[in-house]
Amino acid sequence: MVRRLTLAFVVILLLVIGLLPVLSMFVKSVIADGRLSLAAYEGLLASVRQWTLMGHSMVLSSLVTALTVAVGVPLGILLGKTDLPWRRFFTLLFVVPLLIPPYIVAVSWFDLLGSEGLLAHVLGASATRTTARLLFGLPGCTAVLFSIFLPIPMMLTMIFLRTINPRLEEAGRLVAGWRGVMKEITIPLVLPGVLLSAMLVFLLSFGEFSVPNFLRYDVFPVESFTQFSAFYNFKAATAAAVPLAAVTLILLLAESAFLRERTYQLRPFPERERLPLIRLGTHRRWLFASAAIAGLVIVIVPLVVLVIQSAGIDAYAEALDRAGGSLLRSLAYAVAGATLLTFLGFFTGYLVQTKALRYWRSVDSLTIFLFALPSTVIGIGLISQWNTPWTNFIYGTPVIIILGYLAKYTALTSRISVTQLAQIPPSMEEAARVAGAGWFRRMAFIVAPLARRGLVAGWVVGYIFSLRDTGITMLVYPAGHETLPVRIFTLMANGSPQLIAALCMVMITATLLPAGIAWMVPAVLKRKVIG
Amino acid sequence: MKIVGMDAVSKFYNGERALDNVSLEIEEGERIVILGPSGCGKTTILRLIAGFIAPDTGAISIAGELVSRDGRIFTPPERRNLGMVFQDLALWPHLSVKGNIEFGLKARGIPREERKRKIREVLDLVGMAGYADRKPAELSGGQQQRVALARALVLEPRALLMDEPLSSLDLELNIRLRKEILRLQEKLGFTMVYVTHDRDEAADMATRVVSMKQGRIEV
Ligand SMILES: Nc1ncnc2c1ncn2[C@@H]1O[C@H](COP(=O)(O)OP(=O)(O)O)[C@@H](O)[C@H]1O
Ligand SMILES: [Mg+2]
Repeated sequence: MVRRLTLAFVVILLLVIGLLPVLSMFVKSVIADGRLSLAAYEGLLASVRQWTLMGHSMVLSSLVTALTVAVGVPLGILLGKTDLPWRRFFTLLFVVPLLIPPYIVAVSWFDLLGSEGLLAHVLGASATRTTARLLFGLPGCTAVLFSIFLPIPMMLTMIFLRTINPRLEEAGRLVAGWRGVMKEITIPLVLPGVLLSAMLVFLLSFGEFSVPNFLRYDVFPVESFTQFSAFYNFKAATAAAVPLAAVTLILLLAESAFLRERTYQLRPFPERERLPLIRLGTHRRWLFASAAIAGLVIVIVPLVVLVIQSAGIDAYAEALDRAGGSLLRSLAYAVAGATLLTFLGFFTGYLVQTKALRYWRSVDSLTIFLFALPSTVIGIGLISQWNTPWTNFIYGTPVIIILGYLAKYTALTSRISVTQLAQIPPSMEEAARVAGAGWFRRMAFIVAPLARRGLVAGWVVGYIFSLRDTGITMLVYPAGHETLPVRIFTLMANGSPQLIAALCMVMITATLLPAGIAWMVPAVLKRKVIG
Repeated sequence: MKIVGMDAVSKFYNGERALDNVSLEIEEGERIVILGPSGCGKTTILRLIAGFIAPDTGAISIAGELVSRDGRIFTPPERRNLGMVFQDLALWPHLSVKGNIEFGLKARGIPREERKRKIREVLDLVGMAGYADRKPAELSGGQQQRVALARALVLEPRALLMDEPLSSLDLELNIRLRKEILRLQEKLGFTMVYVTHDRDEAADMATRVVSMKQGRIEV
């Protein structure tokens, strides 16, 4: 009973935080002067510009998706399935761009290739005319978003590879080499993961507007944002957000219809058993070199450019002076967001894993839908729901920012919990139950401690994604409560490149430091226990 | 002729000894059963013979050819020409019965028409003629068993390794399938390496029983 009530409460919380805003936004967009009206949409559909923008968005997202999948899946196989040296380091390296606010990567490339960038200093301004032209527009946007979203197909491929029963591959290895086994067995089995990643990359790049905005490639989500923040036309902003939600919904439905037939029992395998690894043999060298070069260009060069560009005490002093408050706020909100996300994700994950309520599948789909939904939609939805005289304690305070984090990122912590909980035999909880422990006691003393690694991982992921959030925060932050990514984004219009680079470095440090600590602490502790 | 030779093979997992100085010879056409309690190292022996793992010390030869020794594998599994029925069968869930059987034939480069013929023959042999287009999930436990057998036999392996293949079935079906496997073996004459923890099953299947305990062969 306690269990059902608690889980039902969590579901209601998710509905209020996530679904209600989207619905309220939709309802308001079709009502004018108390009557049903499609006026807002007529304006939208009639304008040629909107269709052009939609076209741009589609082209950009398709290109980014095709590229990330084409590179990310082989990369995931290389890092997750072979004896490539340093594969763990490469995995961490390639993930970095996903962890920082997307536009920072764009800023960094601008600092390198722009007309006043580092390259121009070395080779002269004329040399960068072409690079700058390529950077500003579709090619630049595609390249930057590619480097940001590459880890998604890479990681999902690696995760799905781990769920394949090693016996299935061995049965193939009895009669065929790795090439045949990969082609006919392994890759078809990870196909659902590849599809999922393709869909996520498409939707995430579809909803991303800070990068296209900075690189001056006009895309659809910018419209909603501009209507709202430049013209204060909330109706038009809403109408422009609804197609984004519709595209998300359609893609998710298509995916689930397609996958329904294809999800085989993918259960994680006992950890002690190593995956059968492909021995690269003579291919080791050139594959290692390729991975190293890719990592250098995609990740290390942008970071180094920011370090060079920001070098010197002055830039950092000014950065802290002008954005110190935002930094502290960012940290506080991210800690709060991560903690709440961990709780919400744990219970949602528990619900999905144990199928404790009948509609567990819808809850799972809802979180994925919200994660894939463009930030603009969530932002506009939150405003539409909470901007009333009675709910100013939400709309006028940082609470609305936290609600945005919870709406968008619960899918991440929930999924991590599901994976972790799947490793715990149900008998653990059952034994506690037989011993007479109530549900909360079982959760607090048996299940949560057993799932602690998932909880820590969830917290770190929640922290990183809350901290890097730009899209939602930019729309909903109350005056005087802006976060660091938003502050940087606004300063970019007139701040010096040194200052911006320094701010970006501060942002990156704040993001990666806790992740680094969380990653090191268990290793240190373990060493102490053993040694 | 000697099909498999294991010479003083030891195998460690994370410093723990799973096999201790095991020597074993398997002759062509015999039905050898490896009998022992869970955890004694039976599966490890099959995986060493198949070539998924290498012995830490000792050597393994197949049909007179040295295939692995002292931590190194010289001949990968696909060039050993062995068949295996796994404990959990490991039927590929995304392929039909036909696809499961065809995979190895394709890998051997056998032409289409001949593949078709061989699939038909082997399905007849195991009594699954009408099921070529089913997915594994659409078959009963006993039927899946037959498909796994067909998949292993279609390539006419030098030896068929079977890792507790019937342990997941109820006793009645278990006994019926023992008879069928024996019938097939008699008909085709393949060498059989059969692993079980059940004495009755061992007695039924074997021309020779090898008992194991804690990583050693008992004499
Ligand atoms: N991949 C592995 N990693 C670590 N230990 C293993 C692994 N495979 C088997 N073992 C251990 O080796 C011993 C023999 O295992 P196995 O050959 O599977 O036994 P059996 O098949 O007779 O039950 C057991 O103690 C088992 O726990
Ligand atoms: Mg076994």
